[in-house]
Amino acid sequence: MKLIKDKVAKLSFVALLVSLTAAMFYAPAASAHGEKSQAAFMRMRTIHWFDLNWSKEEVPVNETMTISGKFLVFAGWPETVDKPEVSFLNVGIPGPVFIRAGSWIGGQLVPRSVSLELGETYEFKVLLKARRPGDWHVHSMMNVQGGGPIIGPGKWVTITGSMRDFVNPVTTLTGQTIDLEHYALDNVYFWHAVWFAIAFAWLLFWIKRPLFVPRHIAVASGKADTLISAGDKKVAMLFGVGTLVVVAAAMGAANEKYPITTPLQAGLIRGMKTYQMPEATVSVKVDDATYRVPGRAMQMTLTITNNGDSAVRLGEFNTAGVRFLEPAVHEDETNYPDDLLAEEGLTVSDNSPLAPGETRTVEVTASDAAWEVYRLADLIYDPDSRFAGLLFFWDENGTRQMVTVDAPLIPSFI
Amino acid sequence: MSASQSAVRSRAEAVQVSRTFDWMILFTLFTAVLGGYHIHYMLTGGDWDFWTDWKDRRLWVTVAPIVSITFPAAVQACLWWRYRLPIGATLSVVALMIGEWINRYFNFWGWTYFPVNFCFPSNLLPGAIVLDVILMLGNSMTLTAVVGGLAYGLLFYPGNWPIIAPLHVPVEYNGMMMTLADLQGYHYVRTGTPEYIRMVEKGTLRTFGKDVAPVSAFFSGFVSIIIYFLWHFFGRWFAKTDFISDDAT
Repeated sequence: MKLIKDKVAKLSFVALLVSLTAAMFYAPAASAHGEKSQAAFMRMRTIHWFDLNWSKEEVPVNETMTISGKFLVFAGWPETVDKPEVSFLNVGIPGPVFIRAGSWIGGQLVPRSVSLELGETYEFKVLLKARRPGDWHVHSMMNVQGGGPIIGPGKWVTITGSMRDFVNPVTTLTGQTIDLEHYALDNVYFWHAVWFAIAFAWLLFWIKRPLFVPRHIAVASGKADTLISAGDKKVAMLFGVGTLVVVAAAMGAANEKYPITTPLQAGLIRGMKTYQMPEATVSVKVDDATYRVPGRAMQMTLTITNNGDSAVRLGEFNTAGVRFLEPAVHEDETNYPDDLLAEEGLTVSDNSPLAPGETRTVEVTASDAAWEVYRLADLIYDPDSRFAGLLFFWDENGTRQMVTVDAPLIPSFI
Repeated sequence: MSASQSAVRSRAEAVQVSRTFDWMILFTLFTAVLGGYHIHYMLTGGDWDFWTDWKDRRLWVTVAPIVSITFPAAVQACLWWRYRLPIGATLSVVALMIGEWINRYFNFWGWTYFPVNFCFPSNLLPGAIVLDVILMLGNSMTLTAVVGGLAYGLLFYPGNWPIIAPLHVPVEYNGMMMTLADLQGYHYVRTGTPEYIRMVEKGTLRTFGKDVAPVSAFFSGFVSIIIYFLWHFFGRWFAKTDFISDDAT
């Protein structure tokens, strides 16, 4: 019986080891970027991305595509997140599957960090050149120092072709055109090989002779000095002087070959050009807001006043990149990602045109599975349970205006 | 066979066993140092060593030697003090750089497709060889700390310049000037490493104009002396043998 038990235990152990080893060989590609894990209040109250456009859904290697749109740096920026005084316009992709061929905010190239102002809207564009084939989730993204990455909406883009064909030509200020993908790689390998060869020669000189036991006996018996001969010292001198000579000669040769070099460039770009949205003539007051957990719906009581000269209707509520549309007023024509679009997700108790000068209190419901899928419902567990978002109104001429809302949110569990 | 009897029967056999033991210890030491030193250097040197657009003339030059002279000092102390072997620094740095190359080639390039010319490791070997040579010729840990530590810091930048110089050639890109290394950092997207994280060209060392690298290297050398002293004591402590008195019998 004991024999059987021992055998079972041994086989179980072997099976465990085999399973663990096999698991190591399964390494699927990470296809998303944890956007659903980021605290909901952070996604709702920091950077609001809107009017986003991914220029292509399929792009061959070496071809380019753009992500463009606008983002509002929310005025009600949460206290628990550092202000975007040092920020970097990034893209959320799984490594360099694209290269970032260019990125602009308000028409200004932004390879460096920028300073953003609360309450301002900026127009942006990122030019991407396809490099590695596959299906990739491509997000807009803003890194904020002290706040972390604030990831925007993502869309699946397919890159076709072969990475072997990828080229990245760049012309330097010295007039040389190089392929940055492979540039100076031989030089890297060459110098590392040279130094490894010298180091191995030094190690070999010592480890070819008896090492630990006899040398330890000699040192312990006070004969340590006999272990280093005059010949050893000469060899050491040769290695020491040789190292200095190689370093000096290599540096001289590099300076001769590359006489024009500059230090790395770094810095913060201030005074970014903002995008002037049409002045809103609609004012909105949030009387109350509740999130109904069982119904996956947020209900707001809004008092809306139209101070303009044209009747308006509410057509969209946008928060954390999820767009809830009122189909009678506005339909998406930008091919926005399905999972972030609730085409019939917005209902308004009375959405008849709000005449100029009129004030109306309405019940607005934004409902969709996206509340759960994108974990926005987790807002009720966040340290600052306020929601925020963008309301878009359209007038009779189809002119759009944007109004921000920011208010406490009360969960309803029944 | 009793405990007092030898396990070998001839001198030839003893030599053979001793050599086998040498290789076993050397292999164990090499892999242990590779693992420990690699983790240490990745945690302390990290991005400065990962990316070409972090390899600047101020902070990289300062930080890399200071944080990398640690294991060479400790292993030197052990191998010299116990065995009169002047290979501690070179052995450590070779182990580290082999580990780094494995990491950069298979992880950075093989898994995440960053080009190797963007993420190759820094060259620490010239300083390590000189450190070993000074210890052997001087037969003094103090001399090695002072002269070797300084040399280790001073040799770092010139030892790497032939490798990084091509990447410091300037380029005009959409109306801005940057180096090819900056352009690599911009082109090859790192979602978790935004531009502002880069600690390059920061500090108040502006009096020396463009010739700031030698000043940074001297400073690095001075601090390396102190770190050498500290880590050499770790090595000595780690290599000593303590016997526990068996009072019970």
